[in-house]
Amino acid sequence: MPVWLANILGSVYTRIPPRMRPPLKRAFLWTMLRFQSVTSRRPVRQGKRVEFLDFEIAHLEPYEFLGPGAQEVLVDAVASCVSPGTERAVLMGLPGARRRFPYVPGYSVVGRVRETGKNVGDIAVGDLVAGRMPHSSAGIMKTNSLFKVPTGIDIDQASFLELGIITLQGIRKAGIRPGDRVAVVGQGLIGQLAVRLARAAGADPIVAIAASRRRMGSALGPHGAHEFLSLADGRAAITRLEADIVIEAVGSAKAITLAMEAAKPGGKVVLLGSSRDLGRGLDWWNLAQRRELTLIGAHIGALPATDVSAGRWTYKDEGVLFMKLLATGRLDLRDLITWRPRPDECNNVFEVLAEGGREHVGIVFQWA
Amino acid sequence: MNPMRVAIIGAGAIAQRNATEAASSGACAIAGVFDVNVKVARDMAKRLGTAVFESYEQALASRDVDAVLLSTPHHVHKSMTIEAAAARKHVMVEKPMATTMADADEMIDACRRAGTALTVNYSFRYTPRIQKARELVEAGALGEITGVQVVAHQFKDPGYWMGARSNSPDDWRSSREKCGGGYLIMNVCHTIDYLYYITGLKGTRVYCEYENSSSPGDVEDVLSLTCRWGERAVGAISASSILRGGDFGDERIFGTKGTIILNGDGLSMYSTRPIEGKKPGQLHTYRDFPSVSWTGEWCRRFVAAVREGRDPEISFREGWENLAFITAAYRSQEVGRPVEIPAWTKESELCPQ
Repeated sequence: MPVWLANILGSVYTRIPPRMRPPLKRAFLWTMLRFQSVTSRRPVRQGKRVEFLDFEIAHLEPYEFLGPGAQEVLVDAVASCVSPGTERAVLMGLPGARRRFPYVPGYSVVGRVRETGKNVGDIAVGDLVAGRMPHSSAGIMKTNSLFKVPTGIDIDQASFLELGIITLQGIRKAGIRPGDRVAVVGQGLIGQLAVRLARAAGADPIVAIAASRRRMGSALGPHGAHEFLSLADGRAAITRLEADIVIEAVGSAKAITLAMEAAKPGGKVVLLGSSRDLGRGLDWWNLAQRRELTLIGAHIGALPATDVSAGRWTYKDEGVLFMKLLATGRLDLRDLITWRPRPDECNNVFEVLAEGGREHVGIVFQWA
Repeated sequence: MNPMRVAIIGAGAIAQRNATEAASSGACAIAGVFDVNVKVARDMAKRLGTAVFESYEQALASRDVDAVLLSTPHHVHKSMTIEAAAARKHVMVEKPMATTMADADEMIDACRRAGTALTVNYSFRYTPRIQKARELVEAGALGEITGVQVVAHQFKDPGYWMGARSNSPDDWRSSREKCGGGYLIMNVCHTIDYLYYITGLKGTRVYCEYENSSSPGDVEDVLSLTCRWGERAVGAISASSILRGGDFGDERIFGTKGTIILNGDGLSMYSTRPIEGKKPGQLHTYRDFPSVSWTGEWCRRFVAAVREGRDPEISFREGWENLAFITAAYRSQEVGRPVEIPAWTKESELCPQ
């Protein structure tokens, strides 16, 4: 829509009595979607999706969308993985995650292809695929961020795809070598994925650090960490760790500080958690400068989609690797899945998440 | 279930309504009427098609009476209850239970010794709107309750306090000694009861400022109080019987997950949860409540409890706890600081004034 038209419509909209706005907006969007459907020759499809209606309110809502365009496929979801940090941050309006409501969360889904658009390569109807899509019964995936799920892989584990890529790029930036002493601060989903991928990369020992012991069971599982420390063990136990590499997987100023304290002089600290916090008054001299720490920012947003210059791994490369690790059994996430809710339980799921997630690590909505 | 045979004691305005509702509830059969004003007792008995007792003692001595329904001035609740218990009659007493905690304790002692049941007429809690509010709270609409705000203002003409509205005129309402207080104990007590009922919380600390601004006698007609509910909820009540320009009533119960509003629109609920299948994050208003007799429901539930040998839903405990809130509020103004509200214990008979 041209800006001038949007401005005119916006101006008119603000003159409408507030009570009349929602139905008018719905009618306008309904009409616009059908107009787009006619002009693009893509049919209108229906589905249900999780929406954040307001702070700390999730609800399953019906929605409409256009069928697949070029390089797109329509996918019927089978499982969608909750990204706890990001989705909780939006739900609660944390710093760096302020969004307008209603907001549609979710970006890591496995489903079956129902329709294909043009130029979708070797993707065919009926294929099981994983990719970026909100928590919804059906929706559109773009082929440039879509991965075929190899036969035999557990679908729920495959739905961790996007979180796996996020973690893999952090592990890669950490430059872990066999025998490195690695500490992971935070034992949410990203933290526990980082533990497992660090283990696959040969780190030994791996120390899991968390605020409490409620997730100790899954953190120390057969594929998990060798040791577990909670804040209740005292700060001294953490500063004594002197880890070669510390992966921070929380995103708070407190956790980043803790990660720096856990690193040995000259060690590396990888900032993997998406920061939702503002840290002020930190003692940078004693935390980092005097001890010659290397701080490495690692966010999926910096991962190239198609640029494959020497030494760089792309989004696609990481996704293929993640699937390969699952397929070969080198990565086993089954015990990280602690909750498989129905989509209509989403209100309760996100209420629990807003409260801190309790003992849950991996939450996978079951759509099929 | 055979109806309970009830003697109607007091034949004033509220007694008329209580007797009619009790009779039509099916749970009670009116055994007779007594009032110190013989004419109004006769008129009422005639209308109800029942006998007139010449004295309270005669009613208590009657073998055809199982219970007394006391719709009498507050200050005689104690003595009449103790006499009824001594005569092994169950007691249905108008609110408030008594005017002092010491009186309430004596009433409880008497009933316990005699093994008779006592219920206090906080029957507003049986209105469908209040029942619905409780249902919603139990369904989790509010999460943890964090606060209560009450605005309860209306206009009561000076004659109300002088008994001018009653068919058995008496000015006891305007006497702090006889009434126990003013607008708080006379009217707001209902609100306190159903807020206790809806939230499941009891007041734990209160500070109240009140004044007699223009009404007859020495009872308060305007008040403002702030209090703690349970351990973590806080709230306030602003009330008066001198508001000109129309009634103004609005009760709000807040929680971590929602809000319930009770006012002239009915009951409105906002919840972050999908309660009763309703979309979360929106204000839903319930307007069309059935017309029921809440006094009749009070009678039915009391009689059922007595027949089944269990405590009435609105037993002397509820009456005692309500009075504990009110007397603590009055006390707080006297001492000029917040006052802890005594909690109900089995040793409540020993509870200090």
